[in-house]
Amino acid sequence: MGYWRLVLAIVGVLIVFYGIVNLLVHIPIQTLAWVAVWLTAAVLVHHGLVSPVVVAVSTLLRRLIPDRGRRYVQAALITAVPVTLIAIPMIYRQGSQPPSKALLLQNFTANLGLLLGIIAALCLVGYAIRVARDRSPTRGR
Amino acid sequence: MHPLTTADQPPGTGSGPRSRPRWWPRFNSTLRSTALTARLGRALGIAISISLLTGLLSLYQYEPWSWLPAPATPAWGYRATQGVHVAVGTATIPLVLFKLWSVYPNAFRWPPFRSVKRVLELLSLAILIGSILLQLITGFLNVLNWYPFPWDFVSVHHYVAYVVVGSVLLHIGVKLPDIRYGLQTKLPEGDVLTEIPWNENPESHSIAGDLPPPVTPGISRRGVLTAAGAGISIVVVTSIGQALTPLERIGLLAARQPSKGPQGVPVNRTAEEAQVSAATIGADWTLQIDGPRRYKLTLAEIEQQAVHEARIPVAAVEGWSIHATWRGLRLLDVVERAGGNADSHVRVVSFGVGGFRRSEIFGPQLSHALLATHLNGERLNLDHGYPLRLIAPNRPELLNTKWVSQIEVL
Repeated sequence: MGYWRLVLAIVGVLIVFYGIVNLLVHIPIQTLAWVAVWLTAAVLVHHGLVSPVVVAVSTLLRRLIPDRGRRYVQAALITAVPVTLIAIPMIYRQGSQPPSKALLLQNFTANLGLLLGIIAALCLVGYAIRVARDRSPTRGR
Repeated sequence: MHPLTTADQPPGTGSGPRSRPRWWPRFNSTLRSTALTARLGRALGIAISISLLTGLLSLYQYEPWSWLPAPATPAWGYRATQGVHVAVGTATIPLVLFKLWSVYPNAFRWPPFRSVKRVLELLSLAILIGSILLQLITGFLNVLNWYPFPWDFVSVHHYVAYVVVGSVLLHIGVKLPDIRYGLQTKLPEGDVLTEIPWNENPESHSIAGDLPPPVTPGISRRGVLTAAGAGISIVVVTSIGQALTPLERIGLLAARQPSKGPQGVPVNRTAEEAQVSAATIGADWTLQIDGPRRYKLTLAEIEQQAVHEARIPVAAVEGWSIHATWRGLRLLDVVERAGGNADSHVRVVSFGVGGFRRSEIFGPQLSHALLATHLNGERLNLDHGYPLRLIAPNRPELLNTKWVSQIEVL
């Protein structure tokens, strides 16, 4: 395994350098500075803002919602993340393009609402089934 | 109160290096585990491999090597590979965030910079995370035709891809033992991943021996993977309709709705953007053909000869595509009349302004190409390249030059 780790690491570093050298050769340095700014900002925003918010939300959930219900809230939120993430930039940009491009013509706010509604409804149904089962005399699992 | 300190259950279970400050974040959520991370990482590795291969293929399709002309069959080749590239790239955005969530405590090891090796690792991780987020975000913005950044998208997207892939290989090399442990361990049984590395954590299986699996009071680890997979699947299914026509109707998150384009095909670059208007195309418009035998074709002659029909999909680098029926002249006929043949390299020049105002076509695509006058039974409209545009199978949309004014047999 040690041999493969070394090979992977060396090949990886070489490819990174290939990319960086190409960037330095082909992209003007002022422009490249902006690439570096975006790259750094991405890390800082993720680690300094997005992740702490996620941790705070999960802490709140743990304090406010009992375990049995929390499972379904967590499942709904986790499922909703990708959908919301993709929809937000499209909501922001909807209607910004010439109609002939057939681009961003939809009402993405309504579409996101519909998808989140479906996710919430499914998780609610799941929770209701769970509660009903727990209450049934046989206490079936 | 700092959210991180209150993050995961009561502090101070007695674990971890003694010297760290009391305010240092502690992560006790039992959901996180190398077993979970390794599974997310495996999916991410597959996604990045697919993106790399389809991306390099697209690069080649835009500038095929003269010794290896781009094939013309299957006609839907670029449609499929670029549709996959964009769909997988879009799915990777949430996937990478789930992966990062699963290892977030690793950013809080104490002491933060314990050795040169650790500093180098953190640096390489910053490059990995930054480059992959940059790559995914700008790729998605390109799909939306949104350019809030000052650089040329294509070249930066190309070169940053090497930084991403190289960093991933380095990361796999560094983490290979963890990957192995993670994939070999059953998901519910894996050690809890906290800010304390497993080999310093007295509560890890590796040190404490056989322990009962960690209890996850809320959602289970399996539940996290299922919910994340469900969310990502919804994104893919509701956006792939821009390339997979039968799913267009449920394309709630599809940026494009190809069938809503004029004449049933969307436009990538409008006449206005190329500064083409009906006025710039006078009644005296002619097609100039340069080659061993130069000649000209008038609009009337072209419309008279435009009798060849072909079903050729339009497929764009932004991932959208749709089938269309074209009518026009066979480019090869025009080329042969100028003294060229199927082996010629041909340059098609537009009178539009800006990028992609000329393209080269050779090899199998030349033999299958049309100079189209009609799209889906109607005379081409201005946005689609009136009076004449190039269309060839398995060829990126932007290379199918519109508003053609000149053909050069090279």
